[in-house]
Amino acid sequence: MKLVQQVKTQINMWAILSFVFIVIILLPNILIAIHFFGEPNENWFHIKEYLLFDIFYNTSILLVSTGVATIIIGTSLAWMITVYKFPLRNFFRWGMILPLAIPPFIGAYTYQGMVNYTGFIQSTLRNSFDLQVNQKYFSMMSMEGTIFIFTMFLFPYVYVITKSFIENQSSSIIENARLLGANSFETFVRVVLPISKTAIVGSATIVMLEVINDYGVVKYYGIQTFITSIFQTWFAMGDRESAFKLAGTLMVVVIFILVIERVIRGRKQFSYSTTKIRPIQPKQLKGVKAWIAFSYCFTIFSLAFLIPFVQLIFWMLMTYERILTAEFYTLVKNSFFAASVAALIIVIVGLIIANYSRIHQGLLPKFFARVTVLGYSVPGAVIAIGVITIFLMIDRNLGSLFKLFSIDTTFVLRTSIVMLISAYVIRFLAVGYNSIEAGFEKVGTTFTEASRTLGLSTFRTFLKVDIPMVKGAIIGGFILVFVDILKELPLTMLLQPFNFQTLATRAFRYANDEMISEAASASLLIILISGICIFIFHKVLDRGEAN
Amino acid sequence: MFVQIEDLVYQYRNASEPAIKNFSLQLNEGEIIAILGESGSGKSTILRLLAGLETPKSGMIIINGQKMVDDHTFIPPEKRGIGMVFQDYALFPHMTVENNIKFGLRHMTSKQKQKRIEEMLELVNLLDYKKRYPYELSGGQQQRVALARALAPAPSLLLFDEPFSNLDASLQMKIRDELKQILKQTKSTSIFVTHDQVDAAALADRTVLIEKGVVKNISKVEPPKSYSLI
Ligand SMILES: Nc1ncnc2c1ncn2[C@@H]1O[C@H](COP(=O)(O)OP(=O)(O)OP(=O)(O)O)[C@@H](O)[C@H]1O
Ligand SMILES: [Mg+2]
Repeated sequence: MKLVQQVKTQINMWAILSFVFIVIILLPNILIAIHFFGEPNENWFHIKEYLLFDIFYNTSILLVSTGVATIIIGTSLAWMITVYKFPLRNFFRWGMILPLAIPPFIGAYTYQGMVNYTGFIQSTLRNSFDLQVNQKYFSMMSMEGTIFIFTMFLFPYVYVITKSFIENQSSSIIENARLLGANSFETFVRVVLPISKTAIVGSATIVMLEVINDYGVVKYYGIQTFITSIFQTWFAMGDRESAFKLAGTLMVVVIFILVIERVIRGRKQFSYSTTKIRPIQPKQLKGVKAWIAFSYCFTIFSLAFLIPFVQLIFWMLMTYERILTAEFYTLVKNSFFAASVAALIIVIVGLIIANYSRIHQGLLPKFFARVTVLGYSVPGAVIAIGVITIFLMIDRNLGSLFKLFSIDTTFVLRTSIVMLISAYVIRFLAVGYNSIEAGFEKVGTTFTEASRTLGLSTFRTFLKVDIPMVKGAIIGGFILVFVDILKELPLTMLLQPFNFQTLATRAFRYANDEMISEAASASLLIILISGICIFIFHKVLDRGEAN
Repeated sequence: MFVQIEDLVYQYRNASEPAIKNFSLQLNEGEIIAILGESGSGKSTILRLLAGLETPKSGMIIINGQKMVDDHTFIPPEKRGIGMVFQDYALFPHMTVENNIKFGLRHMTSKQKQKRIEEMLELVNLLDYKKRYPYELSGGQQQRVALARALAPAPSLLLFDEPFSNLDASLQMKIRDELKQILKQTKSTSIFVTHDQVDAAALADRTVLIEKGVVKNISKVEPPKSYSLI
């Protein structure tokens, strides 16, 4: 009887809905696992023999180099900007986040467009100095170029996360190190880096997952990776089995990275103390030191944002009359529609799962929360082929069902926008969920309990108390997801319905067709919207910290 | 007996031993009980069990003849008709004083609701503050709003978790006396948790001392002797 009572209090609308969502999230992954262990075909042996080594080699180099480079740049900037004052420091403090507004693939084609034969660098050298250069040194299309692009447009992840971690540390830690005789550099290496280990490793993992997920940069620069190979086998060769095998192998790599992260992070969690801490007071730099700090920041900012941004504006001015046609507005409409519908669904689903795992303690809710967050580690292309396969199955079954009732239908889910939006939801649920969960955590459970002792059911409490109290986190989550989807490329490329393009896929197609300046308008719109969202976020975040 | 609590046992999920062991207590209608005990002794847990915010491992709670919990029954908190004043008050920050008090009122016309709100505000002496938001009130005022909110639906049992801990000493005494007056005036059966002997003696009819989840002692509070100055 006891058990029945327990089950009754555990199983309710929240549990059931959460369970359904979790199954939907897991389904593509399960499918991939099944196919991964299935019979290989001829082509797979071929891929294994001739391609797999290159893929692994390229992927490892990209991951390690980008990881190391973003950690160096990200942590040094975070440290400098937190503890010193120098010219434009307050601007750099949030300006260094701006490169995140530029999707790496846009950065990739912009840089290539700048340095190639017709680009402004070579034209200037030719026309003003009469210099002809060796084309070999003026191409970004190499491993080094790819690493450069990833580093420039992904380091802000490390910067932001490490910076807010350092800012949340008590200044006494740093003061103590100084009192014990360490100079600034020593303090940084021996105190700040070790205590920020969790933040650094966590953010570097995000960077690596982004590198793994990328399609645009490596495709454009001609570097063979898992994702480009999945596209090739799926599209060019029509070999689904091998695509599944590649996806499965890639998932092994992803899991490997996540395990390594866990191991390096260790079990020690340097948690914030709850009492109010004295924030770090930045120290004024003077003379040469100030200018070195400024030059370092300015160089990074120029490379990662200013230069490509200005270049894109030039290209846009050259082409906008041809580009801003009805077709462009359709692109804007498509992008906004898909992103906002998916973001809305994500916010609702995220609210339900977060509320469920908040109200109920226990293993199952915890597991749900975990799965939701893990969704983000699965590369978009992998989710895409999982989702396609599921929709193929649904279509087949629906088809025979319709035939059974002799309904003539041309309605096919597989080619509809439903499939694209489902895949977005699966991929980006974690982003919205994290934001909402953090909101709930801040609010706690007392208000919910108060509402229930005042006679409101869980559901009415949810509407009248829980939602209004985490409104900020909900809006924040919505914006983050919206921006992520706006920039999304690989998943959209694989799943977009016929005649449906987004700003991102159109920009990529232009660039791929060597119409780089035509790609500028769509790219700039993406960057502008993302940039505004980042700005708003930073301001809101700062206000929150000040309170 | 108006409230009957029999042999409650409760263990937190990740704890090695029960936080509450065989807790039993009876209350008469209109009685005020103080639960005394050290930090971590399980005082808050008892209130949470009564309110229905936790499910006991075993035991029984009957209030006003209605079974709230036993081996076959679990009435959820919203159906228990028990009011609770939280330690940090838990006033909804996005609602005015008026709307906080209105929150628990159900099955009434809006006129009746308005009348009830006015009554409550008058009772706690905050008539002029109904349009304010919680953050615009002092600690003592917030405490009184929390009380008014809990009293408004006329609960059969009122629970207080350390109601004075967030107030400074001089305010504590004043509010304590006000509270006693209000509770007696509204004939509310109530249980409050404290670790202050003086509070318990001043407010309660009986005190229950618990230690590590076990009842150590239940004693009647002697009515205060009247001192006369000669
Ligand atoms: N959520 C929880 N999970 C596990 N153990 C808990 C939890 N909440 C309380 N406990 C434990 O149960 C015991 C009783 O806690 P309770 O909060 O009831 O104490 P209390 O008497 O109210 O203490 P205080 O005066 O500090 O508020 C304590 O040992 C506490 O550590
Ligand atoms: Mg307590």
